Amino acid sequence: MNVLFGLVSAMLVGATPILLAAIGGTFTFYAGIFNIAMEGMMLVGAFCAVLGSFFLHSWFLGILCAVAGALIMAVIFVLFAVRLHTDEFLTGIALNLFAVGLTTFLLRDIFHVKGAFTNAGIRAIPAVKLPLIDGIPFLGRLLSGYNAIIYVAVLVTVLSAFVIFRTRFGLRLRGAGYNAACLDSSGVPASTIRIWSLIVCAVCCGLAGAYLSLGSVRLFAENMSAGRGWISLAAVILVSGNPWGIAIISLLFGFFDGLTVFLQGSRIPTQFTAMIPYVATLVSLYLYSVRKRRQA
Amino acid sequence: MARDVLIDLQHITKVFPPDTVALSDVSVSFESGEIHALVGENGAGKSTLMKVFYGLERRDAGDIFFRGAKVEFRTPREAISAGIGMVHQEILLIPEYTVWQNIVLGAEPVRAFGTIDAHKAREAVRQKIEEFQFNLEPDALVGDISVAARQKVEILKLLYRNVSVLVLDEPTAVLTPQEIPQLFSELARLRDKEHTIIFISHRLDEVLTLSDRVTVMRRGKVVGTSAASELTKEDLARQMVGREVLFTSRRQPQEPGEIVFGARGLNCSDTEHRARLHDATVEVRAGEIVGVAGVEGNGQFELVNAIMGLTPMTSGTLEVKGKDITHADILTRRMLIAFVPQDRGKMGASVAASILEDAIMTHHILDPRFRTWRGLGLDYRHAAELVDQIRDQFTVSMGHSSDPFSSLSGGNQQKVILGRELLLETPFVLMDQPTRGLDVGSIEYVHQLLLDLRSRKRAVLLVSADLDELFMVADRIVVMCQGEVVADLATDATSHEEVGYYMLGGKEAAHAETGS
Amino acid sequence: MRKQALSGILGVLAAFAIGALVIALQGFNPVETYGALLQYSLFSGSGFTATVTRAVPLILTGLSASIAFASGPVNLGQPGQLVMGALGATLVGLFVHLPSVFLVPLCILASLLGGALWSGLAALLKRAFAMDEFIVTLMLNFIADYFALWVITYPLFDPSAMTPMTKPISAAAWLPDVGGVNTSVLFMVLAAVVCWLIMSRGRSGYEWRMTGQNSLFARIGGCKVDANYVRVMLVTGALAGLAGGLMIMGGPHRFVKGLGANYAWDGIMIAVVASNGISGTFLYGLLFSALQQGAIGMELVTAVPSEFIDVLQAVIVLVVVAGRVSLNMVFDRLATRRKLKESAG
Repeated sequence: MNVLFGLVSAMLVGATPILLAAIGGTFTFYAGIFNIAMEGMMLVGAFCAVLGSFFLHSWFLGILCAVAGALIMAVIFVLFAVRLHTDEFLTGIALNLFAVGLTTFLLRDIFHVKGAFTNAGIRAIPAVKLPLIDGIPFLGRLLSGYNAIIYVAVLVTVLSAFVIFRTRFGLRLRGAGYNAACLDSSGVPASTIRIWSLIVCAVCCGLAGAYLSLGSVRLFAENMSAGRGWISLAAVILVSGNPWGIAIISLLFGFFDGLTVFLQGSRIPTQFTAMIPYVATLVSLYLYSVRKRRQA
Repeated sequence: MARDVLIDLQHITKVFPPDTVALSDVSVSFESGEIHALVGENGAGKSTLMKVFYGLERRDAGDIFFRGAKVEFRTPREAISAGIGMVHQEILLIPEYTVWQNIVLGAEPVRAFGTIDAHKAREAVRQKIEEFQFNLEPDALVGDISVAARQKVEILKLLYRNVSVLVLDEPTAVLTPQEIPQLFSELARLRDKEHTIIFISHRLDEVLTLSDRVTVMRRGKVVGTSAASELTKEDLARQMVGREVLFTSRRQPQEPGEIVFGARGLNCSDTEHRARLHDATVEVRAGEIVGVAGVEGNGQFELVNAIMGLTPMTSGTLEVKGKDITHADILTRRMLIAFVPQDRGKMGASVAASILEDAIMTHHILDPRFRTWRGLGLDYRHAAELVDQIRDQFTVSMGHSSDPFSSLSGGNQQKVILGRELLLETPFVLMDQPTRGLDVGSIEYVHQLLLDLRSRKRAVLLVSADLDELFMVADRIVVMCQGEVVADLATDATSHEEVGYYMLGGKEAAHAETGS
Repeated sequence: MRKQALSGILGVLAAFAIGALVIALQGFNPVETYGALLQYSLFSGSGFTATVTRAVPLILTGLSASIAFASGPVNLGQPGQLVMGALGATLVGLFVHLPSVFLVPLCILASLLGGALWSGLAALLKRAFAMDEFIVTLMLNFIADYFALWVITYPLFDPSAMTPMTKPISAAAWLPDVGGVNTSVLFMVLAAVVCWLIMSRGRSGYEWRMTGQNSLFARIGGCKVDANYVRVMLVTGALAGLAGGLMIMGGPHRFVKGLGANYAWDGIMIAVVASNGISGTFLYGLLFSALQQGAIGMELVTAVPSEFIDVLQAVIVLVVVAGRVSLNMVFDRLATRRKLKESAG
């Protein structure tokens, strides 16, 4: 029984950053932007979260800093790709490299350490007990007591499905991706919509980053995002952006991520268990292509 | 009948960097409640002028007056709120959305939190459909309805926003001869309801039928404005081009030779197992030009792709000069088929490359002159000679062969592509809309080229949306509808109307499809 | 071409200016800092030779990325291909005992094969299962990293070492220094020349370039687009693998943990800023190598952390990329103004 709860918990922990980043990516996907900067946004978010939490002595302010940091990245992307019309792929790659360089440099410059920074002064995001549900014997343990951000992630998923498919903004968002020229001639500048989608993506990635560094651990390590931004990109592509599909895929990846931690005690060398999330991504891509071929 | 001046454009100038003066000191005025046609050849500046007016392009000099007051529409949104709407040549709709979604996009009725009030939207759209007597179904997906219906959705989109001025850019380009009168009666009805209609066209018969007044433009300047009743087609043509224009065919009678190209029983389906080509059969003989007519999207593109080997066929055979190429790879086909594709930028050339690089494609494999280093190297110096040959033989106006392909005008780009393809000296030539988007001078050039190929006994299959063009150069016209070849007519024995009849499905012409 | 060089130079200068600002804000002296940077990378004998040697993996991975991006495939797998190439060279270097004249080429071949194998895997997955090589190569990077870590921690582990690493490879495979510069530079220059020949004089290079610009056009033109795809992936993988192999043979002579960690991503960065041009990649590779080499000395002299170079590099990329587009816009606006005057006058 404990094993089950442990696995579910590990699954949610692993799924959350990918879910958040992927939802953000969904918005830019629908808007027709080829956004590969999620990795960089997450990394900057993780760093700023630690920065904020440490110096401002509050995890909440840490989250705000994370979002602010990711927004700055988004602003740069907007300046380049939307205003100057630079190639979105190049801009994304450049931004990711910039994020790695900047966070590594600031880690050294501000905290005077190499590799990783951890300190008792960093306030982590607390876990939350849901008021009524917590009391229920079995369900309570399953549903309550997780980190606050996990609940935020669920909320974000539901909200995004609502926004994308039921609101005016959502109609225009998808319109920007389907036919930007049509949207422009309808009186709604597609570039404005794209900018908004990037802002939403930055907020989500900032949250994801904050969760990485302030959620279950309390540290920032160089290159902490470890490819999760790429995995969430894969998720967005696999699902063609649908938020519910993203949720399922993220849980799947989370499962594999959790499995990694789980298997660390076993006799399989840690290097192979560490490979699991990445192999899982490859397998998902394979299954996706098989499904597509069967349809044809 | 005196009308007020509604729109006054004065001294408009527009330059496209680095070298193109699209509009030079253009002054035109439009009166309220009239149908005013803006006429000129491709590249004359008519579309650009309206785009400048509408806020899609910024002008470099000049003023715009609307209802007497000086205005500047920086975006289409501003133009629309002033009551002006424009329907573009390429229909700009979202095929994944329904009719009502497309119409209300940008002006959606909303409830709390920005949720779209779908009920209200549908009702408003239904109301407008009835008011103007269009025949549309609000919940139909735009991707599923006919081209003529999509055009109506575009118009309705503007009427929903209560525009009183409608600008239509080449509206008849996408319609069959049968659908045009219906559009005209709808436009006349709008004019009678006090709407003002500006319509851009290069089709002279239509212009004279529909409009009250006509303004002719040539090379970025206004030639003149007159009442339609005072003009003949010849007058218009002369003003457009600056010299006498022949409207009769220059095709000399000629006996066609043996069959060079045969496509028999071609069947093709797309990813959803819909039949895109059904039992299509076409034959072309030496010294013959066969035209393929049809409403866009009825299998012409699939036919071209199947012939070139870009999409697989489920059954059927292809042969050129007796050689079976049904399963041949693209290179083998290219040895026998010269191909001028529909879309210069997407299929005919690489816009980012230099003129030389675009000119030697395929030659670089087939012509031993360009091989060095035992086939590993490419002889760029000899390749430059090919470019010279193209330039001389096809009178291309260009700089150096290493200049970017994008520095050439549309007509010259097409000439380079034609030169490249025709110098392959293949027995069979496949051309898909070769004159699309070209100026009249270039169009004439291409037609003459086609006739030359014909007199030199090459076999040509010409896909075209321009019936005038087909009647001018083709010996036979083959009509495609719903992926089938529904008619094979000798040009001299048929008429525009008969071809149009087959384009709409022959006996099914009376069938009321949604929107037509 | 001239526009490229102009935007490149302006971009680098602008980035240096921004960097100077950052340095000044930290309370350091920009002139002193840049001075130390140049001193330790270019203006001293040992600095210069070190810069040139360090440029080997940068330029090779840069060439790999440049050729791939220019030809269509999005090969972001240089980090993994480098690692696999290094492993290949290490395996041969550890277990094959032959004199130098045979062992050196054999090790190099092994590194080429290692890299090509890893990129070939991605190409195979794309051709067989339509799996986008963008994501596949990225995932394979991580997998290669962990795999290599396992190899040097268990099967090939050197029992006498404290941290995961292999035993040293046979001395016959070591590439010596000559006049301070490691001979691996020779192989790098050779590879660069071959790349240049292929891309600008070769039939393959022409087809690859056209495919990268417009694959439909190339396909209609008769180019064997699918076969070319595989060839490009294999060649670019081999280049990155070569970088790995040369690092082992010219550097620590054994596979150490963390080998080549950032070089490959720097290679991608170099390709981006060089706009996929061969000569541009070469020059920018040298520039970035100089920056990285000088960074260590810079820290010694002025106490500015060497990680500052990471930021400077990324800023250079951003500024040059943006500058290129802006420069085009400026040229266009100038041309418009000229044309307006002509038509009015």
